[in-house]
Amino acid sequence: MDIAFIFVNAITVAAIYGLIAVAVSITWSSLGLINLAYGFIYSFAGYSAWLVATYVARQYLDPALHPFVIAATGILAGALGGILVCLVVFIPLHDKPAFTSRGMIATLAISLIGSQLLLMAFGPTAKSLPELFGRWRVKFMDITLTADKIGIVVCSALMLAVVVMWMRSSRRGLEIRAMMMNPHAASIVGIGIRRTGIYVMALTGAMAGLAAVLLSQTYFISPFSGLTPLIKGVSIALCGGLGSIQGAVIAAILLGLVEALTNKFMGGQYVLMTQFLFIILVLIVRPRGISGLLDKAREQ
Amino acid sequence: MSDATTPKTYRWKNPLSAWETTTGNDEADSITVADPAMPWQASKGFKVETHPVGRLKYFVVWPAHGARTWDRARWWPTRRNFLNIKGLYNRKTAVAEKKILDRKPIYWLLCLIALALGPILFPENQTNALLTAGATFGIFAAINVCWTLIIGTASIFSLATYAVVGTAAFVTSFLSIQYGVPWYFLMPAGALIGLAFGVLIAIPALRLDGFYYALLTLGLNELFRVFFTTSKQFGSASGGLYGADSFINPDWEPLTQSYVAYYAAFGLLVASLFLFRFINGKRLGRVLRMAPEKREAFAAACGVDYKRARITIFLATSTALGFIGGFYAAQYRGVAYSIFDFQTVLLGLAMVTIGGIGRAEGAVLGTLVVIFLRDVLIEFGPIRYLIIGAAMLAVVLFLNNGYFGIRKQFNAWRAKKRGEWRSTRAEKGGELLPEEATEIDDKDHLYFRRYDKMQRDYLKTLIKPEIIEEHRRQPLGQHSEALERVLLYFRRAKMEDKYALRSAGPHGPYKIIAFSGTRGVSPRLVDDREFVTLDEAYHGVFMRRVHDLLES
Repeated sequence: MDIAFIFVNAITVAAIYGLIAVAVSITWSSLGLINLAYGFIYSFAGYSAWLVATYVARQYLDPALHPFVIAATGILAGALGGILVCLVVFIPLHDKPAFTSRGMIATLAISLIGSQLLLMAFGPTAKSLPELFGRWRVKFMDITLTADKIGIVVCSALMLAVVVMWMRSSRRGLEIRAMMMNPHAASIVGIGIRRTGIYVMALTGAMAGLAAVLLSQTYFISPFSGLTPLIKGVSIALCGGLGSIQGAVIAAILLGLVEALTNKFMGGQYVLMTQFLFIILVLIVRPRGISGLLDKAREQ
Repeated sequence: MSDATTPKTYRWKNPLSAWETTTGNDEADSITVADPAMPWQASKGFKVETHPVGRLKYFVVWPAHGARTWDRARWWPTRRNFLNIKGLYNRKTAVAEKKILDRKPIYWLLCLIALALGPILFPENQTNALLTAGATFGIFAAINVCWTLIIGTASIFSLATYAVVGTAAFVTSFLSIQYGVPWYFLMPAGALIGLAFGVLIAIPALRLDGFYYALLTLGLNELFRVFFTTSKQFGSASGGLYGADSFINPDWEPLTQSYVAYYAAFGLLVASLFLFRFINGKRLGRVLRMAPEKREAFAAACGVDYKRARITIFLATSTALGFIGGFYAAQYRGVAYSIFDFQTVLLGLAMVTIGGIGRAEGAVLGTLVVIFLRDVLIEFGPIRYLIIGAAMLAVVLFLNNGYFGIRKQFNAWRAKKRGEWRSTRAEKGGELLPEEATEIDDKDHLYFRRYDKMQRDYLKTLIKPEIIEEHRRQPLGQHSEALERVLLYFRRAKMEDKYALRSAGPHGPYKIIAFSGTRGVSPRLVDDREFVTLDEAYHGVFMRRVHDLLES
């Protein structure tokens, strides 16, 4: 296989996983919650988008609108899933003892329940979304870039840019950043922990939802399909440093590179191994990830 | 206030004046004295709701001969006792008694006996199914007990437990199939593999904090799954690796096979419980109890090498998990890929969580509940997993530490509520509150405080300008009833902080001092005010006491 092709592939997938990694990162650093229910949110958003694509868009809407409607549905469903997790896990638990471990276990319980519910509702057969970006392709210096790859990279970069801009410039973003720095001080100066929790979870859920819509055109949606993106996202977030967006982006690119190189020189079955070796090496050198600072780590 | 308690002014005549032996007041303005029993009657009527108070702590107490109160049965050849028993004498009857302080060993014994005798009690038509479920329970309970050691005792939040078990099971099955290794070598081989993998995954644990490690091990689990499902040697086509040597002879009757499997798994569970006891209850566990999360630095400063202890536990437990993996392979003649599934990790976490993390009994109970739901109530279909998930979620949301943490949490909640109730009915000043009262042995003290409070309330009504004026005119000698009652109370005060006079010369001036109440400790000077005559000084002391009374 061509290294450039593999590299493009790796970057595409890394873009999607990077979305989830950033979501995990923001949730951890602002709320102190390790949300492992993104897998469920992912599947939930994917199925919602599929429902809309199959039963609404195809029958009632102009084909030109389909991509927007489907993507919007996925994002909204993801945000809804995030708010659900916030209401069920974060709000009741955030002031209880051992919040971190209990929160993590609770999100795992939600993903257990949620994936079983999805399994009961939709059955084990996988569904797939229509292609959102059409079928055109671009040739660029011997590399053929298909529409979905360009679309995925552009969309996730756009989403990331929107999120970063929003976090930088809006009042709510300021609140979230204040929570990241010091949750207690933030609550003292009048930033509602629960309210901010809902914003954060809706935002990160929307990112997972977008990831679901983007990835489900190439792969499939099944009740457990969120697991791989979740684990990849968590690993990237861990490698980049929990709580750091630029760290997650760097780690996503690096891991994509590792994946591409492994594919080229060793073979596809060693990808996970080399990736984890890489992550472990990074973590042994820097226990808080590439751009995580030891002192700034959240203490809660 | 009613008329009876409102003092009326009248003119008091000194009875001694008839004999003309009075030294000071012949007559004085004074006040009538209300019935001193009134505050008692008023306070006897309960105005507020009463609640039962005290400790509900029941201990098993049985009589013992006085000479044998301190007898102890011990585990030969150690000096450890079978039970934590306290010998004591009953407070009321002075009879020698023995009290069991820790009843857990009894419950453990009863539960293990129930598990051992369980197959006899299983319904006839379900014996085989229940035995199979019981064998699964035994193995999973053993795994979870080991996992509890890692999460609870060593506080390393590892999610790769099932990955270690699965790896050991796969490699030993592979060895048995390829090289014909007999079943009794599978477990030691598994233990070695577990140790090797333990060393491998313990390296990042040295550097990473709890949750970073949890996320990493989540990924490691996935890595193992992908590795084993895609590798050709481990039979990627058949959904698992089967055909290993087993201690269960296929020529036996099916029921006999089930029995052997059940009791083998039971033995494994008991062995893992012993492991738990010998790690958690001995030096390593105690060392780590000194170093809970976020207090590691303190423990390290005290000389506790908590990292070494944690890694030791992690390695020992990984070895045990590898052993269990070998056992798994030998029991089921192989292993399926499903042991690496995320679902398995989730169910395992549910088992550990439902009972309570950090306790062997929690791990065993949680495993029992989850395995019962999953393997016995099969006719429920996929709803079983919903129930398991809901139970896990409910436990995490409402309980601080699973089922076995309920008692502690309830006691804390009750103490909080007690505090709230106490603050709603804390209107009675000097009395002890009921909750404190149950903790005080000397009940006289309670009655004294109560009586004293009522008396002070009563005497406060008597402090009027008339009696102060009467005292100023003549501190010593015959007084009106109101003043006399107040003075009697003052004279009866405790030595501690009792006021006295110190004269600078033979005829004054005088200063007020207060006794320390402790022998050998000199009195303190109350203030610098000097009184020229003795009577003025007496009145100064009186005013000070009146002030203290009104303040109290």
